[in-house]
Amino acid sequence: MAEPVTERLVQPLAEKRSVATKAQTQWYKDAVIYQLHVRAFCDSNNDGIGDFPGLTQRLDYLQELGVDALWLMPFFPSPLRDDGYDIADYFSVHPSYGTLDNFKTFLNAAHARGLRVIIEMVLNHTSDQHQWFQEARSSRDNPRRDWYVWSDTDDRYKEARIIFLDTELSNWAWDPVSKSYYWHRFFSHQPDLNYDNPAVFEAMWGVMKFWLDLGVDGFRLDAVPYLVERDGTNCENLPETHAIIKELRRRLDAEYPDRMLLAEANQWPADVSQYFGNGDEFHMAFHFPLMPRIFMAVQLEDRKPIIEILEQTPPIPESSQWCIFLRNHDELTLEMVTDVERDYMYDEYAKDKTMRINLGIRRRLAPMMDNDRRKIQLLNVLLMTMPGTPIVYYGDEIGMGDNIYLGDRNGVRTPMQWSGGWNAGFSNADPERLYSPLISNPVYGYQAINVESQKRVPHSLLSWMKQLIGVRKSTKVFSRGSIEFLRPANHRVLAYVRQLGDERILVVNNLSSSAQAVELDLRQYKGYIPIEMSGRNLFPRIGDLPYLLTMGPYQSYGFRLRRL
Amino acid sequence: MADDSSFLSDDLIRQLISVGEVDLLVGIPSHNNAENIVHTVEAVEESFQSAFPRQRVVIIDVDMGSNDGTPEAFLKPVTRKGASARGLTSLRTEHRVVARCENAAPATALRTIVATADLLRARACAVISAATSNLTPEWVGNLLQPLYRQDFDLVTPLYSRQRFEGLLARILLYPMTRSVFGKRIREIHSTEFGFSGRLATNCTNLDLWHEPAIQDLPQTSLTLTAITSDYRCCQSFLGPKLRPSAGHAPDIVTAVRQAVGALFWSIDANESYWMGRLGSEAVTTFGPDHEFTDETIPVNLDRTFELFRSGVEELSPILKTIMAADTYAEIQKLASLDERNLCFDNALWAKTLYDFAASYHHSLLNRDHLVQALVPLYRGKIYSFFLQHAASSSAEIEADSENLCLEFERQKSDFSERWKLRSEVTT
Repeated sequence: MAEPVTERLVQPLAEKRSVATKAQTQWYKDAVIYQLHVRAFCDSNNDGIGDFPGLTQRLDYLQELGVDALWLMPFFPSPLRDDGYDIADYFSVHPSYGTLDNFKTFLNAAHARGLRVIIEMVLNHTSDQHQWFQEARSSRDNPRRDWYVWSDTDDRYKEARIIFLDTELSNWAWDPVSKSYYWHRFFSHQPDLNYDNPAVFEAMWGVMKFWLDLGVDGFRLDAVPYLVERDGTNCENLPETHAIIKELRRRLDAEYPDRMLLAEANQWPADVSQYFGNGDEFHMAFHFPLMPRIFMAVQLEDRKPIIEILEQTPPIPESSQWCIFLRNHDELTLEMVTDVERDYMYDEYAKDKTMRINLGIRRRLAPMMDNDRRKIQLLNVLLMTMPGTPIVYYGDEIGMGDNIYLGDRNGVRTPMQWSGGWNAGFSNADPERLYSPLISNPVYGYQAINVESQKRVPHSLLSWMKQLIGVRKSTKVFSRGSIEFLRPANHRVLAYVRQLGDERILVVNNLSSSAQAVELDLRQYKGYIPIEMSGRNLFPRIGDLPYLLTMGPYQSYGFRLRRL
Repeated sequence: MADDSSFLSDDLIRQLISVGEVDLLVGIPSHNNAENIVHTVEAVEESFQSAFPRQRVVIIDVDMGSNDGTPEAFLKPVTRKGASARGLTSLRTEHRVVARCENAAPATALRTIVATADLLRARACAVISAATSNLTPEWVGNLLQPLYRQDFDLVTPLYSRQRFEGLLARILLYPMTRSVFGKRIREIHSTEFGFSGRLATNCTNLDLWHEPAIQDLPQTSLTLTAITSDYRCCQSFLGPKLRPSAGHAPDIVTAVRQAVGALFWSIDANESYWMGRLGSEAVTTFGPDHEFTDETIPVNLDRTFELFRSGVEELSPILKTIMAADTYAEIQKLASLDERNLCFDNALWAKTLYDFAASYHHSLLNRDHLVQALVPLYRGKIYSFFLQHAASSSAEIEADSENLCLEFERQKSDFSERWKLRSEVTT
């Protein structure tokens, strides 16, 4: 499914904000977000590490791709023991990525191209190298002592699960300096902040204001469910945590009305939906359980997992939006699946145990799809046509591969492949100096998979992705419309109608590797003419009889339903 | 072969197009089983969820003209509180398909299941009776597992039964099948069994589906086709087999006509396979190969004996035609004994059955009448069995059954000679 891109009229964000309407303050609903790591995108100073000047140079590419917003992974000063999610200073830029001035330049350049910028904000914890923690551990009487969660024993909050099962044995770590235990939900070098102390909240709001004042358009708030701990609970999704979010949102709306908060809460939809509150908490939240089920459905050749999870997804406030994605910088998380489903996913997508980490699979989209272009396209069609704001992970638009032999999740964080030349066009440094080896195997290596070569080919994955994003953005039906699943007897076909006002789009996906015939009950659209969105060809008018379609393997159709 | 190239209805084909290829298929022949079929479907789906959560599955109800809403009950969504409470789920869509075969014989129902399995390229198939009220998910799993995971082609069931239940299999079908075909398969005519996709493909277009003798009990022929075509056969223990409720169980005459008629026909049709084979070999068995329950069942022994004696008397001319003279003489002698002294020994019983089978082969009289003439003798054997084992332990009964089988095997050479002798005379 694809449609020629209609030329976009780029309106700089400064103009947009000055006349912000309700629709514009809900820009996040219509956006296509592109997730990238500054370190991995482009190196301007030949030190082997991507930086803000390099990213700024590549903004034209992102504008041309058609995305609306960039989500940057953490770029703050950090010991980088968790890829930047261990922040040591919230008010600056890691020297490897440039300076704060470089960031400001980038931000202005992005805004000038109509691109919004979403940055990470890790509220739950800091690095143990952060000055706050260094002061807190220095003595039990230090004024910052109570900024973190301390205990003389390690037996409190026993009901809280350990998230990083591969590396952590407990949520408590012994601090030899102050001779007591501190609480951490993630790595032991990431002590949790204590939100029972109002000073912590004020400090973090101060951090957010700093970046908002610079002009960032939103925050992706990391590890949201774990902000508060209480005895006798699993220390997740507590009412006190929601109260903190509500207060953040209240302040944000009052002072920065067109900015956005995105929740990272790897929970079931019913739990995550609580984070929308009554439209007074997060603007957006990731729909984590949907993602593995998209992969599962394609492998099973059965729509059941997708429909089941979306049926379990409660309605959300009008101003809220789900964020959906295929792959990201983390492992393909399998926390929100059953044991049976997890085993299946491992067996199908991570037979090599090296591909597994924590409760998930550390692979990119293209290798998971065995580099089958049809499957990659099918998944992207699902991403762009299902309810929610889609996120494209950098490199997936060209089908980049991964390197499962790199530690942690670094295998999916390798340098962006811009060309088939020196260091894939990522850096002019010596290859040995790159922060990560390039992908160089014959299938996914930069000589074979790169932006430059794909830009030259009208039928490349990159070209197709541009068209798909164009289709997505040609209508608000996909971003704001309702969804109604059709249930043809052929379970290998996933069909749904998206509707917004009088506009209706029928999407039909063949999830199987073989040709399928499907009869759709479209009687309620009797008299409408389906117009295929790729070639704009007319299909027979819908009548009383079941509407028969034949579909090739992994094929998708998008039809505008028009009454003419 | 009759022209029945379109014996599957267009409606069924349309449903199958939507189902597509499957890994597992369970067929449920039904006729007025609305009350029980919901339980059957529940058990089958729970089995899928617990043992085959990843597999592509379909359940097909082949309805033979129910007027109590059986197909509708079959299609009704069921809420499996027990299953969901245990976290059971299937990753894929669980399909249900109804094939309406009004007034069809069981052979047509089974053929529909077999053809569906072939069309959908199912790897493993099970047939479950819609009347089995104590079906459990484990039954279904035990039938499907050997086919799907261990590459067997035929799974026949083993049940635990009351000592005097299942006598048709114990004293007639099993010993005779074992001796003639050489495979120790205890239940060749059960209402539950499993078969592989390979076997289904082989059987779909066989001529046997039109044979009158197998119309009511076609599973016997399927089993014997598997044996004679050297498919991998095994037995799997299911659990207690409850007696069908009143109205669902065939009377003894019907049961013998159906089971023995199908067996004799298969013996006749597969002469080239079994002729010359001696002895028997065990087949792989999952679980115990037999088990008895402590249930007591009412038996009217006096009537059984009386029907034996009167049957022998009334059918005297027919029996003389069917049986060798010495065999007939022994039978007459038995019928004249006081009921307390009746002992229908294993040797005579084997000889009797072989005489009947040979006469069936030579078509000495109408085959259906011939098989019916066996009924009073079967009653006599039952009566004798009751007398002999009234106080026997399970082990003693089992030992006697084994002796009976060995006696059949011992006499098989004579049987083969009789079979050939008459053939030569005829030619």
